[in-house]
Amino acid sequence: MKKEDTVKLISAEGFEFIIDKKAAMVSQTIRNMLTSPGSFSETEHGRVSFPEISTTILEKICQYFHWSLQYASGKETEFHIEPELTLELMMAANYLHT
Amino acid sequence: METESLLIKLCLQAATDNLHAVEKWRRQRRSLERLPSHLAESLILRLVRRRLMFPSLLEVFKNTLEKIDLSGQTSVDLEWMAYLGAFPHLQSLNLAGCPKISSSAIWPLAGMKNLKMLNLSRCPKITDSGIKHLLSIPTLEELSISQTGVTSEGVLLLRSLKNLTMLDLGGLSVTDLALCSLQVLTKLQYLDLWGSEISNKGASVLGMFPNLIFLNLAWTKVSKLPVLSSVECLNMSNCTTHSIFEGHGDKVWLRKLILTGATIEDISEALTYVDTSSLSLLDVSNSSLQEFCFLSCLVALEYLDLSSCPFIDEFVQIITYIGAKLKFLNLSNTRVTSAGVSVLVGRVPKLETILLSNTPTDDFAISHLSAMPSLKVINLTGTNVKGQIQQLGFGQDAVQSLAELQNLSCLEMLYLENTQLRDASLSPISKLHELNHLHLGGPLTDISLCLFSSIQNLIHLSLHDAVLTGPGLNSFKPPSNLKVLDLSGCWLLTKDDLLLFCRRYPLIELKHELYHFVPSEQSISKHLSPSGVATKTGPSKKKERTLLVSPTMLKKDEFIDQRLKYSREELLALQHSSVSLVAFDNGNLIPELQ
Repeated sequence: MKKEDTVKLISAEGFEFIIDKKAAMVSQTIRNMLTSPGSFSETEHGRVSFPEISTTILEKICQYFHWSLQYASGKETEFHIEPELTLELMMAANYLHT
Repeated sequence: METESLLIKLCLQAATDNLHAVEKWRRQRRSLERLPSHLAESLILRLVRRRLMFPSLLEVFKNTLEKIDLSGQTSVDLEWMAYLGAFPHLQSLNLAGCPKISSSAIWPLAGMKNLKMLNLSRCPKITDSGIKHLLSIPTLEELSISQTGVTSEGVLLLRSLKNLTMLDLGGLSVTDLALCSLQVLTKLQYLDLWGSEISNKGASVLGMFPNLIFLNLAWTKVSKLPVLSSVECLNMSNCTTHSIFEGHGDKVWLRKLILTGATIEDISEALTYVDTSSLSLLDVSNSSLQEFCFLSCLVALEYLDLSSCPFIDEFVQIITYIGAKLKFLNLSNTRVTSAGVSVLVGRVPKLETILLSNTPTDDFAISHLSAMPSLKVINLTGTNVKGQIQQLGFGQDAVQSLAELQNLSCLEMLYLENTQLRDASLSPISKLHELNHLHLGGPLTDISLCLFSSIQNLIHLSLHDAVLTGPGLNSFKPPSNLKVLDLSGCWLLTKDDLLLFCRRYPLIELKHELYHFVPSEQSISKHLSPSGVATKTGPSKKKERTLLVSPTMLKKDEFIDQRLKYSREELLALQHSSVSLVAFDNGNLIPELQ
């Protein structure tokens, strides 16, 4: 996969998740950051930092992006969420508009 | 409330799956304190609905919650209020129809610092002593105490709540004296006094509310109103109306006027002081109106309800003068015929809804309606519609009148119950592709049911009193978007026929006298993200299936019995036995159904 097709998401603790750009676009917030002309530095470097989102939650978010793409293409599987993650994940989803 | 995204929905489901899941997150105090109010609200609502909420769990939302709607919850009582009363940011609290909420139960709300909106409607145990607790909430802006046990004495006390902008006193015996004492509430914009003891004397002080926009005086003895220059919406249904806004000065710029069931001696006189050119809504259904010439002045009208008035064809001409903006027209239970409908053609360019139920209109009305391109909703229930127009001359076939509805590209809802429609004339309906609500009734058979499979957008299908059979229902393939199938009065169907259908289509709500099936929340979400468990084999699969079809039942035990009793093969066999019954022994079937 080419570098242009991926995007780097950085968690609060500094962990980096390199994922498919198409998957990251599931989030309306990330889509806006990556596509709005010029104004965001994220657009150029293909990296987005989330100082509010912990590594565990960001990992789950990335999993969700991929699940969501699969789900949209008709592959029906369950997306399991551990109850202890629900609150933080909900807030992250709210922030990312996903 | 905002519509939640899929991930938020999945989170809410996971968080409220069972008490064990709740235990996992309820100690995450820091997360809970950061939770945005609208998410906290959704979470609480789901917990309440799933009966997982208990008062001490409320405590964890103490510092986030701004708004909560607990209306109709039977478990909400004093203990809940004890917690909610200590919520520092709570602005809006809806307790409408909570049977355990009494005057003493709302005592903990006294002294709340930020509460702006409180709804206590339909809590019969709220009395005057409950009102005393509210007087120490000076921030209160919106208060609903309709249909409670509050008397005029209690209403008198409300005068100290100076910030009130909205006050709903519907169904309370408010006297003229009590209303006079409320004059100090000059910020009031919305005042509901339906069913009160207000007379013309009390109504004369209504002019003291300079900001009043909405006023409801339905079911009162008020017949005359003084000038209320700020009022935009007025409801005087079931009153005897002599004059509205009589007095000096400019005419009142009224937007909405509801006079349902009112006794009106002379409408022109009653409206002398109203600026009728700005009126957008007029409801005079069931009123005593005899003549309708006054309508010709109402040039801005968008919504007109004339149902159950002595309205006849010759008055329809008046509607054409004011048809330019008209979107909604209700002529149900009038004496308007198809000839009257023809007068409207081309004169009501924006009309979206026309209701003609129980009028002597017939198939020619359909031809005229099909020339009104913006129509979305047509109701011809109880009319003389047969679906066919006999051509003049001999030897010619009848024309299917419903075929003309294909000209209406926006048509979404069609009501044709209690008409003389037969299978033969229904076939054009299958070509109405935008249709999402269809209501039919009468001696229609399985042939008609087949037709509806091809209407892809159909969401609600209702076929009352039709002669549907089990095999007919069994071979029916519902359109993919169908959510509700109402087969009330289809007397040939047996409970087993209905059960079989529900099992095959667990996402469709089915209504019938013998059986009411409501898709459970689990089965919908399972279909949204089918669980991995479903693919497993063995006993767990069986369990999953019972979960999947877990309807809210009228007679739950009986349903479980039925499922245990029959295997699929047996059910199929039974289905054939019902055919033979239908075919050979119609008479004996009726006792068997009961």
